[in-house]
Amino acid sequence: MSIEVKKLSFSYGKVKALDDVSLGLGDGAVGLLGPNGAGKSTLLRILLGFLVPASGEGTVLGYDIRRDQAKIRRLVGYMPEDDCFIAGMDAVTFTSYFGELSGMPREEAMKRAHEVLFYVGLEEARYRLLDTYSAGMKQRLKMAQALVHDPKLLFLDEPTANLDPQGRNEVLELIADIASHKDIRVLLSSHILADIETLCSSVVILNKGRLAAEGRLEDLKATDVSLYELKIKGDGEAFRKDLEALKCRVEETEDKVIKVYMPADRNRMEIFRAAARTGVQIRFFTKSQTSLEDLFAELVGVD
Amino acid sequence: MATVREKGYYHWEGRLTESRFPWWPITRTGILLAFKKRGFRFLFAGAFLPAVVFLAGIYISERLEDFKFMVRGSERLININPAYFKTYLANDGILFLMIMVLVLGCAGLISDDLKHNSLQIYFSRPLRKQDYLLGKMAVVFFFILIVTLIPGLLLFVFKLVFAGSFKFFLDYPWLILSVIGYSLILTLFFAFYTLLLSSLSKNTRYVMILLFMIYIFSDILYGILNGIFRTPLMALFSIKANLQQVAAFVFAEKLPHAVPVFWSFLVLAAVCGLSALVLHRKIRGVEVIR
Amino acid sequence: MTTVIETKSLSKWYGNVLGLSDVSLEIEAGITGLLGPNGAGKSTFMKLITGQMKPNIGGVTVRGEEVWNNFRLFRKIGFCPEQDAFYEDVTGWEFLTGLLRLYGFRPAEVTGRAARALEIVELTADKDRKIRSYSRGMRQRVKFAQSVAHDPDIIILDEPLSGLDPLGKRRLIRLVKDFQSEGKTIIVSSHVLPEIEAMTSRIIMIHQGKILAQGDIHGIRDLIERYPHMISVRCADARAVAARFVQDPSILKMSFGPDARSLVVETHNRDAFFSRLQSVVLETGIEVEEISSPDDNLQAVFDYLVVR
Repeated sequence: MSIEVKKLSFSYGKVKALDDVSLGLGDGAVGLLGPNGAGKSTLLRILLGFLVPASGEGTVLGYDIRRDQAKIRRLVGYMPEDDCFIAGMDAVTFTSYFGELSGMPREEAMKRAHEVLFYVGLEEARYRLLDTYSAGMKQRLKMAQALVHDPKLLFLDEPTANLDPQGRNEVLELIADIASHKDIRVLLSSHILADIETLCSSVVILNKGRLAAEGRLEDLKATDVSLYELKIKGDGEAFRKDLEALKCRVEETEDKVIKVYMPADRNRMEIFRAAARTGVQIRFFTKSQTSLEDLFAELVGVD
Repeated sequence: MATVREKGYYHWEGRLTESRFPWWPITRTGILLAFKKRGFRFLFAGAFLPAVVFLAGIYISERLEDFKFMVRGSERLININPAYFKTYLANDGILFLMIMVLVLGCAGLISDDLKHNSLQIYFSRPLRKQDYLLGKMAVVFFFILIVTLIPGLLLFVFKLVFAGSFKFFLDYPWLILSVIGYSLILTLFFAFYTLLLSSLSKNTRYVMILLFMIYIFSDILYGILNGIFRTPLMALFSIKANLQQVAAFVFAEKLPHAVPVFWSFLVLAAVCGLSALVLHRKIRGVEVIR
Repeated sequence: MTTVIETKSLSKWYGNVLGLSDVSLEIEAGITGLLGPNGAGKSTFMKLITGQMKPNIGGVTVRGEEVWNNFRLFRKIGFCPEQDAFYEDVTGWEFLTGLLRLYGFRPAEVTGRAARALEIVELTADKDRKIRSYSRGMRQRVKFAQSVAHDPDIIILDEPLSGLDPLGKRRLIRLVKDFQSEGKTIIVSSHVLPEIEAMTSRIIMIHQGKILAQGDIHGIRDLIERYPHMISVRCADARAVAARFVQDPSILKMSFGPDARSLVVETHNRDAFFSRLQSVVLETGIEVEEISSPDDNLQAVFDYLVVR
């Protein structure tokens, strides 16, 4: 378990930001979700060692969150949401500077800065002044400074904000690559559910300071009903009637997705047989899961 | 046997150490960034001119006979004594030069970090607030000490060298301490002054203006208030006056203003205290994640 | 469907810098997505359609009327810009009512409309707080409110979902779809392609100042012949399924996923493939977990047209 906390609570004055939150995070990339004001930033601050919780305890990478805050920060890389750089520097100087501040010896920091800048794709631009960087490059730079000291835990805060589609894709690929390394844990906070679904294998959902859900995405999204989603080419009516004769419930959504609710004793092959019988071509087929968006809406309540 | 280095992420095999001076990279970077600013190098070089002039003065005073044709009544004009050193360290011109050095080179120390939101990444490191502030202050220390203490000590040494004897040292054994002491006072005061103003705004240009104007204006204010109220107490409003008052005290000279030197110390200390308070409140690690 | 917005040979330069070049379009009622890389000309396009800038060549007409500097038309157009720039010291209420008065509504109408707009974006409780105290999501919502408060027929939205949490996004998307059913014309620009897809399948793609593609996402995909369609089949024994297709000349490429639990096929003739797949499945009785088209989406279309 890289992060384990028990019964964390914290209040800003009268506002209770975190209320009795307990969770444990293991392998893979974890998504941190929640409406604004749910307590995500408070949780991150406590985990990063900036706030001492009012009550509760926990460890990050084995270090106590109350006593070993500096040690935690040595092992954690943080990629902030806002743009941040230092004017008048180039990428290499910037990255090695922060490597040094993390505790790396100067020459090592310099060597590592180059490596990391190659990795994030800034090799061509690494000697240019940061003031000239585009939005996508600034995001990569933030990633580089988060990685320079080889952290065991990476916090990424809205890493794809303000990027154009190409930039988004590239950053997502980069994160996917980092997350695939078993010895780096990634914690991703984002409002873009599509990104969380692509990158994360488990999620933590906070709402109003409490833990609303936690666990592997596929477990959380699993439904016990055998629901299949299809897209077809051909005569939908006949197909539908055929399936209904088999005691399945059939619905069609506005994007022409056909939902088939099968009773437990039936096999999915029946759908294919029905399609063959009615001359319908199946072009899309999947066992349905709750979408992350629906899961979120359901857990956070208001809809 | 053949090997291929694969593309992708590699771990770093080193160990992170706890440095004894965690603030040193901040200082080094601050100094380098200052030198990158336009015109700063010229100004900084120019800040050594007074040292050169005073050095020449010492040389001339030793070789009076050679220069008798240039200077009449020279014994009174160039007399190397503690007042000479005090003049080097605290005359209007050199104080002004120091302010300009701060304006051009150190105004952005904290304001640039505020503007570009880089406090977030500083504090995501195992860096304490003290380390950050000390690192920034050390930049000012560097620039001011190098224009006050080093030349001050060098002038002293050269005096001994040109005179060819230790007589000067024996006459004024405490002078070295005064030079060191006053340099430190100047340095500390300017460090607090600069960082206080630098932390007040995200716009470095405003800070530059503030650094300059407050210094100048405080003196003008003194002039105005003195004109109205005709009391030397008004000197306490002027930064320059306070600095010069303290200088006179440290070099055992007559105080330029009829005000107890303790109060000047108090004013300077109050500025430092205010600065410490503001810096403590403004630089908050907690704001790293919003 | 009648054209609501029409542009003819629309071009705009800023000195040397290219904004748009020779853009001729017809936009109908409903939701149209607008996308493109940074610097492609999207904001230029939006400023031209909302009549804020005068084109160098060509023009924009809305329902037949030229839109440049046309005050009467401005009443019918709502614009929600990307930038976060407000008068910080006014309250949300003052902001909305102030803007509404500029449209020339009578005072009674102004309060009514402002109240309704705030209600739609769920900011009624915070209307009397200064905008300075608003969170990022609230600022976004007030921006959206001002773009719809005067009940325009045409709504132009530039990155409307930025700053909103997932629920806020969902609500806004629902709102926009409601507007669509009321017959309004909405243009939404965003960099987050899955979010555009959630709203519409009709898009306009701008690149290097020109219209790179327009129409239905799947229609556009069909036109990209350089990249044959990819179809992915996940099942217990992908190799057995693949064996049935190896001889088929319309299959251009085949590749296997890990553990041979999935098969990705590239073909120009999807019809033939799907029919054949169905029979293969029924013959072999292999349990199919999933059939999908991994590159029949907006991100893939974007990649194929812009990136590669």
